[in-house]
Amino acid sequence: MASTSGLRTTLSKMAASLTGLLKPWTPRVLLVRWSRYNPYYLEPEPRKEVYHIPETELTPEQKEERELKSVRPIKAATNSVTSSVFNDPVLSKFVNMMMKDGDKIIAKGIITQTLENMKRKQVEKYHKAPEGKKAEIECNPYAIFHQALENCKPVIGLASIQKGGKFYQVPIPLTDNRRRFLAMKWMITECRDNKHRRTLMYEKLSQELLAAFSKEGNVVKRKHELHKMAESNRAYAHYRWW
Amino acid sequence: MQMQRLLLSTYFLFSPERRTANMAASGGRTVGSFLWKCGNCCFNFNTVSSNLTRQVLSRQLCVSAVLHRKNLAAAGPEKFSEEFIKKQVEEFNIGKRHLANMMGEDPETFTQGDINRSIAYLFPSGLFDKKAKPLMKHPDEDTFTKALAVEKHQDRLRGKDLFTQDAKQISLVGSRWLLKEELEELLVETISEHDYARFIQLMERLLSLPYCSVEEDFVQRYRRQLEIQSSKQQVQPLQYDQHGVAYSTGDGRRKTATGTVLLRDSGSGSISINGTNYVHYFPVLQDREQLMFPLHFMGVLGRFDMQCSVSGGGHSSQAGALRLAISRAMLSFLSEGQVETMRQAGLLTPDPRIKERKKPGQEGARRKFTWKKR
Repeated sequence: MASTSGLRTTLSKMAASLTGLLKPWTPRVLLVRWSRYNPYYLEPEPRKEVYHIPETELTPEQKEERELKSVRPIKAATNSVTSSVFNDPVLSKFVNMMMKDGDKIIAKGIITQTLENMKRKQVEKYHKAPEGKKAEIECNPYAIFHQALENCKPVIGLASIQKGGKFYQVPIPLTDNRRRFLAMKWMITECRDNKHRRTLMYEKLSQELLAAFSKEGNVVKRKHELHKMAESNRAYAHYRWW
Repeated sequence: MQMQRLLLSTYFLFSPERRTANMAASGGRTVGSFLWKCGNCCFNFNTVSSNLTRQVLSRQLCVSAVLHRKNLAAAGPEKFSEEFIKKQVEEFNIGKRHLANMMGEDPETFTQGDINRSIAYLFPSGLFDKKAKPLMKHPDEDTFTKALAVEKHQDRLRGKDLFTQDAKQISLVGSRWLLKEELEELLVETISEHDYARFIQLMERLLSLPYCSVEEDFVQRYRRQLEIQSSKQQVQPLQYDQHGVAYSTGDGRRKTATGTVLLRDSGSGSISINGTNYVHYFPVLQDREQLMFPLHFMGVLGRFDMQCSVSGGGHSSQAGALRLAISRAMLSFLSEGQVETMRQAGLLTPDPRIKERKKPGQEGARRKFTWKKR
């Protein structure tokens, strides 16, 4: 049987190999997409209500997840994430996409002004509407934003595949992240390019969001055009091999 | 691999006209023509099989044997039923008598030892493993009984509707496999990396089989519990000042900013940073939200009084440093479960992200120099 000193050295070796996982980490081979966290770390959960669910109402998978989280180190929450009710991951992503040269203050300011503008317009419409139509008018700017983004998301996309020397536009399925990204990107480019020199960004953005909410406007038109292209190129769908 | 074999078989069995067509098809490297080629092969597979059988028949294989083989295959795998065992026992006895006659001994007094010796004499084997050598034993000594018992048990379970494939799984969540050093200690001998990898592979394979929960004790002997991470948090004890008000300190760092916080349990919600009010120090909403994050998460927004000092970095990193300092200071006021929830929310981990260094041959960390053709 190993002596006590041998046991201590083996235990310290084991401790070293395990604590090596918990330090800020640079991978041995520098990949293009790497992070300072060791892959052993798990993502944080900043929402309050998740931790108030009693033990009895958890599914077995959630219980296992909780057990796993109790033995694994967790990453730090980012700057833009809080436990408040106003924290919206989709809106944060939109702010980041609108940001230029790392100036988040201006981007966040534009978004806030846009939401306020949308609310003002909707409330004006609400007060002018007859009694029967009042219930249909949506005044919550966050709900309008989410619904407008949903209406702009394409269902199918096109990919350029080379075959026999020519490039064909092949219809492919899109992941959820890609769809959301395309909707946001189209919205932002549309608001930057197709506006009058004097209109401000928040004004144009609120107009486009309200139009997308009622399924009109240029962004929704662009989505429909993409769908039509995909439908017309249906014959090449079998070129896709994944 | 199978496709290649198919292609080769089609190549060799086709007539010359077909072969040239195939070669023309294989000229194109594109996916479509490959599919077409495979489609072609698939179409011709039936013809290939008929070609094969035609050649097989022409090779004077007994037709009845082929048909007989087909019928046997259609009956399904051999079942270990009572009649099967009886038949095997009869065959064994007849075979024993034949063997005794061959060896020139008396069939009545032919023991198992004599059988073994005669088999070893008649079929000499150069194999080392005893089980790999040819043997002749009474069917009752074989594993037929085990297989029979297993089948009987399964039938009984099926009768009671208990024969289900989904048994309970071993819970592996909070544990890890033994490290190589620990395994060496357990086995009191050194093992190579290759052996250790093989050991882990076999244990994982064991866990992938159904009903592995039967051997849970065996598996748990080779696993160690991982320690609970929240126990690693250093919680300072509460201190009390001259008026009896509880206070605690915490410090935090983020990028190049360092911040310290003195948290007092006085009941007003005032926050002062470097002597100025937090609203004046952090005009940006996001930074103020970061300061409030730990307090809002625990639901103690108006309870604490904070005196913060911060230096270095920009406004965002200063806010992040203060957030970490506040979370650490709050630990003394909280219970174990609340400490664990704060850790899982990501409030207690120091953010390790720093500015990526500039690399030689590039303009920045990622940006390359403008590519010039000449």
